[in-house]
Amino acid sequence: MPSEMDQFVAEVTAFLDAHATRRARAAEDVAWGEGEDRITYFSTDPPDVENAKVAAAKAWQRTRYDNGFGWITGPTEFGGRGLTTLHDLVYDGLEAGYDVPETGVLSLIGLGMIGPTILAHGTDELKQRYLPRLYSGEIIACQLFSEPAAGSDLASLETKAVRDGDGWILNGQKVWTSVAHHAAIGLALCRSNPDNPKHKGITAFVVDMTAPGVDVRPLRQMSGGSEFNEVFLTDVHVGDDHRLGPVDGGWGVALTTLMNERASVGGEGAGPVGRAVALPFLTELLRANGRLDDGAARRRLAELHADTLATEYLNHQMVRKFRAGEQPGPEASVSKLMYAQNLTRGAHFAAEIIGPRLIADTGAWGTYSWTELLLSTPALRILGGTEEIMKNILAERVLGLPKEPGIDTRSPFRELRRSAGATESRSA
Amino acid sequence: MSTENTTSTELDELRSAVRDFMTAKADERAVRAAIDSERGYDDKVWAQMAEQLGLQSLALPTEHGGDGYGLVELTVVLEEMGRALLPSPFLSSVVLAGTALVAAGGDEAARILPGIAAGTTTATLAPPNVDGGWSLGGRGTGDALAVTASAGTDDVTLEGTAPLVLDGAGADVLLVVAGGPAGPGLYAVDADAAGLTRTPLPVLDLTRRIATVTFAATPARLVGAAGGAAAILDRVLDVATTALAAEQVGAARACLEASTTYAKDRVQFGRQIGSFQAVKHKAADMLTRVQVADAAAREAARAVDGLADAPEAGVAAAVAHAVCSEAFLAVATENIQVHGGIGFTWEHAAHLYYRRAKASQLLFGGPAVYYERLLAKAGV
Ligand SMILES: Cc1cc2nc3c(=O)[nH]c(=O)nc-3n(C[C@H](O)[C@H](O)[C@H](O)COP(=O)(O)OP(=O)(O)OC[C@H]3O[C@@H](n4cnc5c(N)ncnc54)[C@H](O)[C@@H]3O)c2cc1C
Repeated sequence: MPSEMDQFVAEVTAFLDAHATRRARAAEDVAWGEGEDRITYFSTDPPDVENAKVAAAKAWQRTRYDNGFGWITGPTEFGGRGLTTLHDLVYDGLEAGYDVPETGVLSLIGLGMIGPTILAHGTDELKQRYLPRLYSGEIIACQLFSEPAAGSDLASLETKAVRDGDGWILNGQKVWTSVAHHAAIGLALCRSNPDNPKHKGITAFVVDMTAPGVDVRPLRQMSGGSEFNEVFLTDVHVGDDHRLGPVDGGWGVALTTLMNERASVGGEGAGPVGRAVALPFLTELLRANGRLDDGAARRRLAELHADTLATEYLNHQMVRKFRAGEQPGPEASVSKLMYAQNLTRGAHFAAEIIGPRLIADTGAWGTYSWTELLLSTPALRILGGTEEIMKNILAERVLGLPKEPGIDTRSPFRELRRSAGATESRSA
Repeated sequence: MSTENTTSTELDELRSAVRDFMTAKADERAVRAAIDSERGYDDKVWAQMAEQLGLQSLALPTEHGGDGYGLVELTVVLEEMGRALLPSPFLSSVVLAGTALVAAGGDEAARILPGIAAGTTTATLAPPNVDGGWSLGGRGTGDALAVTASAGTDDVTLEGTAPLVLDGAGADVLLVVAGGPAGPGLYAVDADAAGLTRTPLPVLDLTRRIATVTFAATPARLVGAAGGAAAILDRVLDVATTALAAEQVGAARACLEASTTYAKDRVQFGRQIGSFQAVKHKAADMLTRVQVADAAAREAARAVDGLADAPEAGVAAAVAHAVCSEAFLAVATENIQVHGGIGFTWEHAAHLYYRRAKASQLLFGGPAVYYERLLAKAGV
């Protein structure tokens, strides 16, 4: 008798066969010198191309959803399938064998972080209202957390939320907001009580991005494209029914989001970007450049490959822990750090082999195309918690080392020094 | 035999039994006493490992007196041995010789293996090359075989000097890869054989003894097929580097824990040193390395056991050998740094781990060898 998982695999395979075409080869495994040579992490597409890709992503998510694979782990009453993380991983594994539209614009933030947060902290009404629309690909969600003066120190955010009858008025500025220009809703953290210590005066809201007073302005990234934005909130009205979690209890809500962020940023690496660390591809790179017998190049390649595979094994272990019903430990944070490192090393390894042909576009296949990745990898050490912050977390939460001595977690928020400039102007 | 059936609860129980044993029998004082002893390890502890816990027999086949478990289970044991820096002939006798004999098969192997499984016989396997390397690939002059065997299958004698034999002075049986008429073959020599000279050498890693062994018309017995050493050695290297990786992970974790504890205890500038970010980030880097090394060692064990969803054994073993060697060395080095001056003293255990880390990294050839082995296994 086939096991429940075997049946699931058969069901997924039948669905994918009916709606997509199987890949001839793995995504990271291209024939040398043929086809697409771009190794894109952040997009540099012009707006019309980008919009077409977003539409395709939404359509594919809709197809997944209509067939029961849009939200495999979600509760059935909100449009989910009610299955386990393992089913989700199995689905991803199978789908990777097919040519389907890239859905990161929906999944990385909206489905991976905001959805789980609404599920954990929202009222039934709010969940009913947004979760099916999110997971069916109808709408995209963004994360309105970072501000100009509050990045790593997120809890020092200043966007104000003030009571207004049975609702709230929001005023302030968010920044680095990925996909805000495609988003219908955003999860905003706001300062609701400046008299409390910084972690205890924050409230979280689901904000309608089309509401009056929401102004989204694209910011250009160093990689050339514009995938993140600044978002100005000017007298934006939000109903109290759009509050997530208790008044002044938004930090707990934020922690749910951040936990899911760390889990989602680590594990990727398949797809075209995966080529940057894929041994067959890098071996072809050496061969094409006559460097297959170069001891120094071989050594660097082997070092990179050892760490890449070990990171992959770490991810396998997380999957096996899920399978055994255990909670993974620090693997997700470690995986995120390693992922950023490995991809960065892959890009610079390729650059060393390619040499000057990387610095100007001669049209030669697989040379200048690496610049997109080289210009993307610096972000991997910043987004989703900087490398330094991840190390603090590992040292403090996993190893139990003492926290930095600091007064800013006890004093009322309004008394804190928030920027060097602010202090100067006070003393002047 | 299906090693997939050992649950994580059972592995946890095995670990805690071995840890209790190591805590009782191989604390730092016991390790130092063994280091200063004639033999280099405590033979009473060795006997108890066999009698009380059955560690020597755990991963050897049932038909040779073993319990038929695999590397997945042995990994737990080796991590705990590494953690304690237990001086013992386990790596040489059970892992190196045991694996070589199982891979070779035949009557001679069947004769020696039950004693190894019972802990009553210790054996070792000499590195085949004149420079102490383990390659039959013939890439360089160092790859020349150290020992040659006379023609024939009966009344064989060995000639030559094996330079760096793990536990070579104490082992009851010496296994040697020697050049013969049919190509390199595996041969067994008894400790009391004629023409055998064993010279213990000063060692970097005080917890593992090494000797030079000279054969002069020394009688030997062929193990397995004539000229069959290449396949045996390939299997031995996969298993032994995987086993070593598990030891390295256990020892690296001990260094991380020592550093973490010290960083919480030691106060300078009115603060615990662990509250300084330079120290904190060092600890986080150590943790990262240990986690990744741990993943690599476990995956290699699963691969060597041939589990269904595991990667190719040669690749996974090579990854584990590289990653765990580098990780342990880095972590053992930083452990000294976190401890400051006390970490540089003879009395502190930090140098014992550092010595083990450097010697383990080089035992099967070192970085130049293990990175090329990985590329070779991956087909580059
Ligand atoms: C591509 C990209 C997409 C992003 N998308 C989003 C998004 O969708 N939504 C959102 O809310 N945010 C987003 N962010 C913002 C991101 O979370 C922040 O950039 C990040 O948390 C760092 O904050 P910061 O930029 O203010 O840098 P800062 O916090 O000012 O850090 C500057 C430097 O100081 C270091 N530093 C700061 N504090 C410490 C400390 N305690 N110990 C040691 N070092 C420290 C940092 O590690 C860093 O090196 C995105 C960022 C990028 C690059």
